[in-house]
Amino acid sequence: MNDGFSRRAFLGHSLAIGGGLLLAGCDSGAASQGAAVLTRKPVSGGRLRVGIIDGDQSGNLDAHKPVGGGIIRGWALYSKFWEWNTDVSTRLALAEFAEPNADASAWTIRIKPGLEFHHGKTIGADDMLFSLLRLTDPKLASPFAGLVGAIDRNALRKLDERTIEIRFKQGQSFFPLDETLISFGGIVPTDYDPITNPVGAGPYKLKRFVPGQRSLYERFENYYKPGQPYADELEIIEFKDQVSRVAALRAGQIDVASGVQAEHSALLKADSRLSLCVSPSTSFTGFNLNLAKPPFDDVRVRQAFRLLADRQELVDRGLTGFGRVANDLYSPHDPTYNHAIAQRPYDLEQARSLLRQAGQTDLRVALTTPPGPGVNAALVFAQQAKKAGVDVRVTQVDGAVFNGPQREQWQLSPGSTPARGFLASALHNDAPLAIYNRSNFHDRRFDDLYRQALAQPDLELRKSLVHEAQQIQHERGGLLIWGFNDVLDAASVKVGGLTPEQTTFASWRFDELWLNHV
Amino acid sequence: MSEPSCKSPRTPAWLSWFIGRLGYGLLTAWVISLVVFIATQALPSDPARVILGPDAPLESILTLQHQLGLDQPILWQYLRWFGSALSGDLGESLDSNAPVSDILWGRLGYTLVLLTGVILVVVPAALALGVALALRRDSRLDRWSLSLLIFLKATPGFLLAIGLVLLFSMPHMDWLPAVSILDPDQSLLRQLKFLVLPVLALSLTALPYLTRMVRAAMIEALDSDYVVAARLRGIPYRRIVWGHTLPNALVPAIQGVALTLRTLIGGAVLAEVIFSYPGIGTALNAAIQMRDLPMIQAIVLVITLAVVLINLLADLLTVLLTPKLRTARRVTMIQRNRRGITPWWRRSRGDA
Repeated sequence: MNDGFSRRAFLGHSLAIGGGLLLAGCDSGAASQGAAVLTRKPVSGGRLRVGIIDGDQSGNLDAHKPVGGGIIRGWALYSKFWEWNTDVSTRLALAEFAEPNADASAWTIRIKPGLEFHHGKTIGADDMLFSLLRLTDPKLASPFAGLVGAIDRNALRKLDERTIEIRFKQGQSFFPLDETLISFGGIVPTDYDPITNPVGAGPYKLKRFVPGQRSLYERFENYYKPGQPYADELEIIEFKDQVSRVAALRAGQIDVASGVQAEHSALLKADSRLSLCVSPSTSFTGFNLNLAKPPFDDVRVRQAFRLLADRQELVDRGLTGFGRVANDLYSPHDPTYNHAIAQRPYDLEQARSLLRQAGQTDLRVALTTPPGPGVNAALVFAQQAKKAGVDVRVTQVDGAVFNGPQREQWQLSPGSTPARGFLASALHNDAPLAIYNRSNFHDRRFDDLYRQALAQPDLELRKSLVHEAQQIQHERGGLLIWGFNDVLDAASVKVGGLTPEQTTFASWRFDELWLNHV
Repeated sequence: MSEPSCKSPRTPAWLSWFIGRLGYGLLTAWVISLVVFIATQALPSDPARVILGPDAPLESILTLQHQLGLDQPILWQYLRWFGSALSGDLGESLDSNAPVSDILWGRLGYTLVLLTGVILVVVPAALALGVALALRRDSRLDRWSLSLLIFLKATPGFLLAIGLVLLFSMPHMDWLPAVSILDPDQSLLRQLKFLVLPVLALSLTALPYLTRMVRAAMIEALDSDYVVAARLRGIPYRRIVWGHTLPNALVPAIQGVALTLRTLIGGAVLAEVIFSYPGIGTALNAAIQMRDLPMIQAIVLVITLAVVLINLLADLLTVLLTPKLRTARRVTMIQRNRRGITPWWRRSRGDA
């Protein structure tokens, strides 16, 4: 560190912390100046240290059943047929060809020639089939198998050494295979074992894994993107506490903090050696209104709840301003999204009148939430509901209880889904094949439209189906989607390749990140 | 308690008492393992649901419950665990699938190093400070120090820890690392700088209690008849203080150290969270959140055994430091001072 620099920088820094709130609107002015001094061209070498927060889980390295930070570690270890674009669409990764047939009842996937796993084995069709069979193996009990639950395990076929064909149960169609297979469909060799042989074809290969503490990786020389990744080593360090992780970042003990709290944004922006990357993701945040429970079986009550939510206030206070207002619909980035549906207004009068019509003038509802950032939004919402004469009582339970056997019983609970296209998001929420339909929304016409859309690779034709399906969701669905939240990542200005995107994982693109270590 | 045998003059009487206490401690450990098992059964939800997360379909949950043996009768689950624990196999963590012993010993090692550091700092500091304050009783230094100690005691530990981070690890003056991310590849001795802040934070929380205990014991000892008698005989004051009073004042200090250790062995969570120090406190907390039964059982077992051992050692030291007890033919009068407040010798005399 430069000696003459320190005292002035320190004083300036202290002032900046005090004035942090004032600076909040200026984005990372100081930070980008700092970054401009550094080179823009990727630098190879060095050890990139990424701090993550994993909750209480120690997690694992399983490609197909990642637990806790296993999802992030998977980005280092495994490659897939596709990868995400920054606008949440998909592009080919290991695959050189991946297309559905005319009614999306079969997909043909061919991988690029000469690809290798970390241990030197060439990737072939057998490995592709093994990976798919492992992901969908009922004995593995992967919670993500449901996303590709339509795959018919018995109808998987090897066409040649690099090509396979995927068909679906009962001959059904399944268009969103790329979006549903991309996250947890890591391609692994037939001798794969998540504990004894955790190899894949990702940018980094494992050197050591200490569950609950850290994992260390080294650069995979034969990664399918020539010249990438940039750093010699990657280290993923787990933290239990946001405050201590920010302290570690500021003290230079880590280079990237993945997913920081909005409360820390002012502090991070004020530090000239750090940059804050705000990704305007299309992950939604909202509430599930459980249709299986009164009073939400009545569509008027659902509409009233959606009207009494002051969305801007929820974004301002629940997300500390880091987000955008939503219209009870997910996937606004999807080309099939129905932009013609008008934004639902904040209308207390209308809400009260709907509640009166439904005979719910003295309504009491229990809102059950797990700990975390969602609690703030729940409390804000409870205050808003009070204005419409609804008594929302917020109960906080731990994550285990929230997802426990009682999970069907929550009347009102927070809901969120990472940024995905319409068809994939629906699989996380209210589609007929949804892996877990928390709002218990079932609508015959909606289900029909959804199934038709699954079988429609043509964008224009699919668009009209989705538009009508979204009309139904907007009128009588069980989701109160009030906002899309930004994802905040912080990094040292020495880190390059971290840019805002619409996804939630800008800081997990380990093959793009580089460290100016010289 | 076992019958002490006093026939052989070579075995000291306290040895049989010691063995009896050891057996008693093991029994305690077993009872606690049973209590913990029942308690985890009473917690809502189960590991399968926690591991699989919010989106898990019911079939996945049922499959995993079956694989983890959670669908078997509760008694059978316990017996199976107890059987393998007796043979030294603590099972696999349900969370990370790694053997519990691998995770546990690594973290226990870190915790023990942390505790050793705290003891090395706190005991000499408390002794020196306690004696110094006792000798200057009611002076201005004594009053100010006591106020400062009470202030330290009253400040929540996490605030002290964060204060230390701000003081020593602010950007541009990085004297010490803000968090203790230990490198498992290197020996801990090469990474001692990571230990400084956690040890300091925990020491500051433990110091007030111990210092005040030493001070009170010293004052009481200095007031006792034998000190008056010794002074009347003209024995130098320094010799009275260090040769006679301090050994007598050590007994309550040992019980105080034992109490501090008992609290810290599982309760260093504070330092572990703030400094990301990988000890067993956070591991236990995480295991409970995850309903990771083998991990919970193993950690609680280790903590129980550690507490039993610490008590035993403290009592043993007490016996060895107290001539009347050390040479007694039957050691039946030792009762462990459970609350660490009023020692038995003071009680028996204070009642008079």
